[in-house]
Amino acid sequence: MLNAHPDLLNGLSEADAARVLALGRKMVLGNGAELFHMGQEAESLYVIMRGHMKLTLPMQVRGQEGNVLVEERTAGQTVGWSALIPPYRFTLTATAAVDSEILAISREALRGLFAAAPEIGAKVSLNLATVVGGRLQVFQAMWVREMQRVVELRCA
Amino acid sequence: MEMLLMGAVLALFGIAVSCMAFGAATRSEEEEPVAAKQAQPELAKAASVPARFFVEPAAVPAPAVAVAARVPMEALLLQIENHVRLEQAAAESFMAAPDAVRLHSRTISPFIN
Repeated sequence: MLNAHPDLLNGLSEADAARVLALGRKMVLGNGAELFHMGQEAESLYVIMRGHMKLTLPMQVRGQEGNVLVEERTAGQTVGWSALIPPYRFTLTATAAVDSEILAISREALRGLFAAAPEIGAKVSLNLATVVGGRLQVFQAMWVREMQRVVELRCA
Repeated sequence: MEMLLMGAVLALFGIAVSCMAFGAATRSEEEEPVAAKQAQPELAKAASVPARFFVEPAAVPAPAVAVAARVPMEALLLQIENHVRLEQAAAESFMAAPDAVRLHSRTISPFIN
C-alpha cells in the first residue's frame, strides 16, 4: 500500500491509477541497497511506495571518489524517469537511505498501456513533464547561486 | 639648559617609538618569525591571500579551507550533503516566489561559511 499519492498519477481516476500500478513489480530494498547505477540501461521507472531514496553523483573529494547527494525522494515520488526518455540510461545512482518498498514499472508495459488508453498516457506524460521541469528549475536556481559565489570569489 | 636637554631626549625617544611602530606595521610576511609559521603550518600553507590591515576576514577564505582540510572525510561528505539540502531548499523557495533576492539569498551552510 502506498503511503502517499504518487506524483506520476495526479489527475487519474482511481480506476486508471490502479491500471498503472497493476503494471508494477514490487521490490523491497534494505538500507543502503542500490536501486540503479549511473550509466546502466534504464528499463523501468520506480515509484517509491515506502521509504526514502538518495540520488547521488560521483565527486572527487581529497583525491578520492565519493558519491555526493544530489537529490532525495520519498514515498509517492518517482525516480528513474530516464526509462522513458532517450537514450534510456540512468544519469544518477539511486540508493535506499532506509528500508524501502519500490514499485518498478517497465517502459514496455507503460507503452502498451499508453497505446491502449491514450488518455492515461497523456496524463502520465504531463505528470512526468511536471516532475522533470520542476527538477530542472531547481537545478537552474542552484547553478546560478553557485555561479554567483564563484563570481564573488573571482571578482573580490 | 637641563630643560632643553630633557626635551631633546623625549623628542628622540618619541621618534624611536614611532619608527618601531612604523616598522612593525609595514613588516612583510617573510620577516615574521619562523617559529610563528611552524606553529600554524596549515594556515600558512593555505593562505593564498597575504594578511593585511583593512582586509575584511570574509574576503580571506584561506582559514576556512584550512579548517576543511582537518575535517574527517565522512564529516566532510555529511557537510556537503547538508549544503546540497540547504541549496535545494533555497532554490525551491525561489521557485515559490521568483525574485532576485530569494535567488541570491545568503546560505547558512557551514560548508562555505
